[in-house]
Amino acid sequence: MTDTTPIRRAATQRPLLEYKHVHKAFGAFKAIDDISLEIYPGEVVCFIGPSGSGKSTLLRGTNGLDPFDGGEVFFDGQALPRKQSEVRKVRQRMGMVFQNFELFPHKTALQNVAIGPITVLNTDKAQAEQQAMALLAKVGLADKADNYPVNLSGGQQQRVAIARALAMQPEVLLFDEPTSALDPETIGEVLSVMKALADEGRTMVIVTHEMSFARRVADWVIVFERGKVLEQGPPEQIFEAPTVGRTKEFLGHLGWA
Amino acid sequence: MTLDWSIVWLNRWLLAEGALMTIVLTVLTMGLAVPLGIVLAFMRISKWRSLALLSQCFVELFRNIPLILIVYWSFYVIPILVPVQFSAFTTGLIALVLCVSAYNAETFRAGINSVRAGQTNAGLALGMSQFQVMKEIILPQAARRVLPILATTWVSLFKDTSLVSVIAVGELSHVALQIRSQSFRVLEMLTAMAVIYWMMGYPQAKLSDWVRKKFEVKE
Repeated sequence: MTDTTPIRRAATQRPLLEYKHVHKAFGAFKAIDDISLEIYPGEVVCFIGPSGSGKSTLLRGTNGLDPFDGGEVFFDGQALPRKQSEVRKVRQRMGMVFQNFELFPHKTALQNVAIGPITVLNTDKAQAEQQAMALLAKVGLADKADNYPVNLSGGQQQRVAIARALAMQPEVLLFDEPTSALDPETIGEVLSVMKALADEGRTMVIVTHEMSFARRVADWVIVFERGKVLEQGPPEQIFEAPTVGRTKEFLGHLGWA
Repeated sequence: MTLDWSIVWLNRWLLAEGALMTIVLTVLTMGLAVPLGIVLAFMRISKWRSLALLSQCFVELFRNIPLILIVYWSFYVIPILVPVQFSAFTTGLIALVLCVSAYNAETFRAGINSVRAGQTNAGLALGMSQFQVMKEIILPQAARRVLPILATTWVSLFKDTSLVSVIAVGELSHVALQIRSQSFRVLEMLTAMAVIYWMMGYPQAKLSDWVRKKFEVKE
């Protein structure tokens, strides 16, 4: 494996997320087949690979939404608890952004962003809404605060969803194919918000098919295939000089020669 | 054949009383069948298998036999099961509640299930408890979908209350049919009955349409 690659700058610290021998099967299909990985504080890590290669499944197991069958996830040195009441505490510290946005349709953009702190952290409503307003401004949607999701474009909805995740002041942001459900013309606005977050030094794990984005923003790229890690390394290595033939093949299918 | 409409006017107060009873029966039935339907729906989706099974049996039983049979059944069987003597009105009410709460249970369950799983995940990912997800995210969305269906059920129920006339509950149908058999003014009384039901039912149907439009879910 490539664990020893010296170019992983963040690797001098303790990992923020650590997967140890995790696996998960759907029937006879091994979605994740004994994966061990580290993600270090401040890193932007992109998971790439063909559909069904296990990258989304790994991400969704990270906060226990779709628990693994075996193996363990360590977050900040602590194993992810199995009990619902305890796993909640961990989820509060991880923000998640979904492929289909999953904004709450009965709440305005502002209420969507404020609901986490209000219900989970017992933040005072006025204060939570003030913070929410600042976050909406940050993703460029201050003027849409009173709109319901149905009146927002896909790109706008996804930016609200990012603000909603940020409202919990998470230590890591998990993105599950955040631009896959978007019209091509709105993908850019979401990616630029994500780029800005990366530039702030946030820890981000991004499952994506946007190769040029991964090439530009990622500190570390992990290529998945059939539930296993095919190759990992800095983007220069993965996109320009992949050490594994299958990586080259996969990128070739996407137009990266 | 000569028609004598005076029979309707002569009995106007009796008919009005019957109409009032029909309304009371509808309101009481729905008032009881909504909370009972919610309880049954939550039993059905609970993780305790025995509760779920109990609810399922109740719903599938009362949803799949004719209401008139439930009415007769209540009339003859309840006195055997419980030592208390219920009035015809109470017996009729019980029969209606059994049937409508079974329908409502399915309505509520469908409403809750219609909110897609991603919404639950989004709430859980924020760190909410299952209870908070239900209260803040699922139920408000389910309610908007359930309300129009409840309105439709209401309109059907209003007409179906006529079935309890077979056990002599003094609602509109029973009163009108009594007058018919005493006066032999069959056509007059049946027509009067139809007109009264229509005058009361039509505004309710319109109101139900309005509710359906107003609460239509847009996504």
